[in-house]
Amino acid sequence: MVLEATMICIDNSEWMRNGDYSPSRLRAQADAVSLICGAKTQSNPENTVGILTMGGKGVRVLTTPTTDLGKILACMHELDIGGEMNIAAGIQVAQLALKHRQNKNQRQRIIVFAGSPVKYDRKVMEMIGKKLKKNSVAIDIVNFGEDDDGKPEKLEALLAAVNNNDSSHLVHVPTGPNALSDVLISSPVFTADGEGGSGFAAAAAAAAAGGVSDFDFGVDPNIDPELALALRVSMEEERARQEAAAKRAADEASRQGKEEEPLSNSQDATMTDNTNNTAAETTEKTADPMDEEKSLLERAFAMSMGTSVSDTSMADADTSKATDEDKELALALQMSMQDDTKDPSNQSDMSKVLGDQSFVSSILTSLPGVDPNDPSVKDLIASLQGQPEVCP
Amino acid sequence: GYREDEGLYLESDADEQLLIYLPFTQVVKLHSIVVKGPEEEGPKTVKLFSNREHMGFSNVNDFPPSDTAVLTPDNLKGKPVVLKFVKFQNVRSLTIFIEDNQSDSEVTKVNKIALFGTTVETTDMKGLKKIEDNH
Repeated sequence: MVLEATMICIDNSEWMRNGDYSPSRLRAQADAVSLICGAKTQSNPENTVGILTMGGKGVRVLTTPTTDLGKILACMHELDIGGEMNIAAGIQVAQLALKHRQNKNQRQRIIVFAGSPVKYDRKVMEMIGKKLKKNSVAIDIVNFGEDDDGKPEKLEALLAAVNNNDSSHLVHVPTGPNALSDVLISSPVFTADGEGGSGFAAAAAAAAAGGVSDFDFGVDPNIDPELALALRVSMEEERARQEAAAKRAADEASRQGKEEEPLSNSQDATMTDNTNNTAAETTEKTADPMDEEKSLLERAFAMSMGTSVSDTSMADADTSKATDEDKELALALQMSMQDDTKDPSNQSDMSKVLGDQSFVSSILTSLPGVDPNDPSVKDLIASLQGQPEVCP
Repeated sequence: GYREDEGLYLESDADEQLLIYLPFTQVVKLHSIVVKGPEEEGPKTVKLFSNREHMGFSNVNDFPPSDTAVLTPDNLKGKPVVLKFVKFQNVRSLTIFIEDNQSDSEVTKVNKIALFGTTVETTDMKGLKKIEDNH
């Protein structure tokens, strides 16, 4: 929660056209800058951030330190590529901009994206570093892109000259599948923000890692063990419910016409809508543990994640809610019905309990958001009725 | 003791300038100052600012000093520098800015700083007598 004014120095020289960081080095920088601005502002609302570019015809300040994120993001869109990076001038102009900050109580920090070769020699870098240290300016250097003669050493010299109690950092970002922003999030550039910023960083990391995750549920158990546990438990319940619902649907499809499908749909809707209420019920019903099919697990999880996302994003209209859920529920039903052939033995207990028609219809009436007269639901019923009885 | 030990000194870090801030516990008038240091790296130009809080290297040139002293090697051995007394009548804090040193080296070293002057007003606690109740 440290009060800080930050100037970000962006490298927009010709070297930034390269696509080794996706989509291009310049856009990767822009993404990282947006993340940094967000993190700084979140950790302390009075933090200010300014942007300047080092390439092009010369150093140009796009915004002086401001709390207005919109202004900063607007500037990011106007970046154009050209020229050579002038790192010394960039840092000095940044220092000047920080000197004239409005709130003198803010600490001063410069974040430099050093993507192209550094044409100054070590001595100059050290002098700059000393000047920064004298004026108590901290600096974070992001070394990426070109890796030429002596660039790491020069940047290390700069860091050594500036560093005061480890307030300054140097981060090397190699090319690779990980985006520039992702590597930065886990680096001291973000995590040095302290307690406030780390929440933002963790959320961003989780979101970013959602696509390519090494962990089962896209959530790092190290970052958030409770969330990971909750996800795992809810997925197991989901699967249990699905199988039970599918079994019941298959059973009652032969006996009754309309009622089962909205019923099973509603049952599924229940489990995704009111996981709290029905969580207790399902855990009681599911006496025996289900044999885990890994594919079923993942699909059930994807479905529940999909529905929960759609739940949170939907505003009001009940019908739209029902429609979305029905589609996903139909999918889930079909999936579980396919897998029912593999897991026949576990259905018997569930089917007995859920075979109680009065119990099920009472649940149905208590459910919001599912309209049996909805045409999509009717279509669903018709299609499912056509399937022969699956369970032996 | 430690006060006269030549082996102990204050040296500058990033470059040759030093900025020292001394807040007083009461208001004082300053008469003169002694700055002792080694002959080579000892301070040369010393600027004194009275009653300026939170000065930094960036705003050191923003206002004129209350007094400036250019130290000679005699001064560095202990000869006091007499200040403009009229400028230091009502001093709550003193900021000493050492701009450069005798040999223009990268590092400035200071052994001792001594300030001579008087207080403005004090209450002499010993003179206070307890009021007797049985008057």
